[in-house]
Amino acid sequence: MTLFHEMYGAYFRIAARALGTPDLTEQALRCIIAEEGFRDSVLFVPQKLLPQTDGSDWGLLRRMPDGTLSPVTKHAPVMPLTLLQKRWLKARLADPKLRLFLDDTQFSAFSEQLRDIKPLWTPDMFRYTDQFTDGDDFSDADYRSHFRTILRGIRTKEILSIRFRSGSGRRMDMQYLPLAIEYSRKNDKFRLCCRGVRGGTLSGSGIINLGRIEQVTATGRIYAGNVSLEEYFRLRRAKEPVTVRVTDERNGVERFLMEFASYEKHTERDIETGDCLVQICYDKQDETELLIQLLSFGPVLEILGPPDFRAQAAARVRMQYELLQANQTKPES
Amino acid sequence: MAGFSELIKTFEKTRDYIRDFFICGYKVRGDFVRKSSRTYDDEKRRVESWLGDVVRYDDSVRGRQISISVDCGHIAENPLYQAYAAKSFTDNDIRLHFLLLDLLADGSAQNLRTLTDRLSSEYGVVFDEQTVRNKLREYAAEGLLIAEKQGKTAFYRMEPATADALFAQYDGLADAVRFYAQDEVFGVVGSQLLRSTGNIRGNDCFFRKHHYLVHALEDAVLPEILAAIAEKRRVRFRTFSAKQRKSPDYEGSSFEAVPMQILASVQTGRRYLAGYIPETKRFHAFRLDFIRNVKCADPEPEYDKLAEAYQRNLARTFGVSFGMRRDTGHVEPIRLTIRLNAYTEGYILDRLEREKRIGTLEKISDGLYALTIDAFDPHEVMHWAKTLIGRIVSVEGGTPQVRGRFYHDIRRMQEMYGGDANDAVS
Repeated sequence: MTLFHEMYGAYFRIAARALGTPDLTEQALRCIIAEEGFRDSVLFVPQKLLPQTDGSDWGLLRRMPDGTLSPVTKHAPVMPLTLLQKRWLKARLADPKLRLFLDDTQFSAFSEQLRDIKPLWTPDMFRYTDQFTDGDDFSDADYRSHFRTILRGIRTKEILSIRFRSGSGRRMDMQYLPLAIEYSRKNDKFRLCCRGVRGGTLSGSGIINLGRIEQVTATGRIYAGNVSLEEYFRLRRAKEPVTVRVTDERNGVERFLMEFASYEKHTERDIETGDCLVQICYDKQDETELLIQLLSFGPVLEILGPPDFRAQAAARVRMQYELLQANQTKPES
Repeated sequence: MAGFSELIKTFEKTRDYIRDFFICGYKVRGDFVRKSSRTYDDEKRRVESWLGDVVRYDDSVRGRQISISVDCGHIAENPLYQAYAAKSFTDNDIRLHFLLLDLLADGSAQNLRTLTDRLSSEYGVVFDEQTVRNKLREYAAEGLLIAEKQGKTAFYRMEPATADALFAQYDGLADAVRFYAQDEVFGVVGSQLLRSTGNIRGNDCFFRKHHYLVHALEDAVLPEILAAIAEKRRVRFRTFSAKQRKSPDYEGSSFEAVPMQILASVQTGRRYLAGYIPETKRFHAFRLDFIRNVKCADPEPEYDKLAEAYQRNLARTFGVSFGMRRDTGHVEPIRLTIRLNAYTEGYILDRLEREKRIGTLEKISDGLYALTIDAFDPHEVMHWAKTLIGRIVSVEGGTPQVRGRFYHDIRRMQEMYGGDANDAVS
């Protein structure tokens, strides 16, 4: 049972599609290679799939009198489920989030189908050391129902009427076009990425914790306009990146780069000092989370800008300094 | 670049290069000293070919930097999965794959002799029986074929289940797989499942926040470790720390351990193998991204007893450190006194409740709360505690070094930000 195996590879996928395409032309083959392969695959794969006079090809296609390519096989290629894939699916049965997608009947039938399969792992083999403990209740019937209504809405572009409590506790009841669902392992929560709808047109961008939703109603109205996730993400993005300097004290650079690997960023290293200068792009809603995460690096990292972001850090540091001064706690080393 | 191939035989060398391009975006050609420049050029070209859309180039005074730049929360599929789609193979491998599956497509069971003969008679390709036997056995082990004995002869038939059939049978399963294809643990298998279907689109609506894409590269060593845990066996492996692996001659350190769990930090992006080391008689956590050459070893007769001891140790583990008494000396429970207004800043109280892990939170008086954490390694606590900067009234317990470092750090930060603080706070 191998994770890194050629049967899951891009070249095998290309060959499978080529063998399953009737009246394949060389041009169509190159399109398949471009779609399924890597950037440079077109330099390597055609000569292995196109019949060669010296027999150096894979021998899977033959040239027909009309110039098209015909498979040497008699059936369209089928890729059976592998043991790895079955064991992966079996492992997912233990995750309560799977029940968001499968109803009770389907779940029971699927469990029965995989009865004799050993899971690839069990939940107790992993421990998420710093996962927040107030995650969503995925077993709640209303939560599951909301999740499925939202997912259907995303697929059909149906406008939904959603009533929920905001982060500040205010009750909101508005219409939204659902775009995508976001999950965070850290928070163990799902959030709905959506656009507000007012008078039939899109207004701002929103993000709603599914755990705070009280009611979701499908309006029956399909949004007919164009809507893109790229635009949604752009609307959520802070105008300016945060710039920080990270020193290598306490292995700071490696720790920082690992911890902030999930952010889009640009990094430069000062050859003289070994310091790293990093620009971090972030979503506006994550500003406080980013700020406290940066402060946890202590003096190993300095926030250089933008000025208002640095000022927030400075204010917290000054409050901390004054707290320790006021309590007259003396350093001990 | 004669002889260059997009495909690779083994994953481990490439894993290092991708990790460096992805994590350390500042590196230039001269920084990759462990292998030759030619190796660097080949690996760089492969990464460019696999991940073209997310590769970024920047010219610095040190040379051209290549990095993998992506906002992990805004992508529908982990681009690093491409590395798993690049396993090299022989011409015979691909021929036998499609021809054998074609011969078995009708669901019939056939033996080695019949299949070898039919390869020759129906496709005009001659294979020796040993080559065909090896492939049949390999595919039976991978689950594509089902091997059944009839008398002394093995017969092979194709596994009837396909992803397409499953997705048609279970409404919602395709979306579940799309969601799990983004997972930190073996998400790549979900992606492979989706790609193995004829008409199921990939993920387009599930996204991950706090997503560490680089974990996909570590998945390569996980199956062996998880199998060892399931079978209560020891594992042997080598570790290569970030600093040590810069040396071209460094071969890593070898370990034998009794694996207990994979510990994952969802905030620092690090994953560890936690295990018991019989040689030193203690528990330890090894960085997964530094582990290579994992092999299952002998069954561990004391596994259950060690697992109980491990659980007891976890009760004093704030992160992944099982402590080093000889280094830290006596450690007292660390007590943080935190200022907050429960009426107007209830969200801070919520934060403490959900993030305190093994800690105990108690109210001291109006506006003052004490969080006590009895951990092996108080340093781990303090990295998290600094997210509360601005609210910590006092730090007690732990060790004098830990307390001293905290106070010293705050002084240094005050010097660092002092001018701006005066400007910003009225």
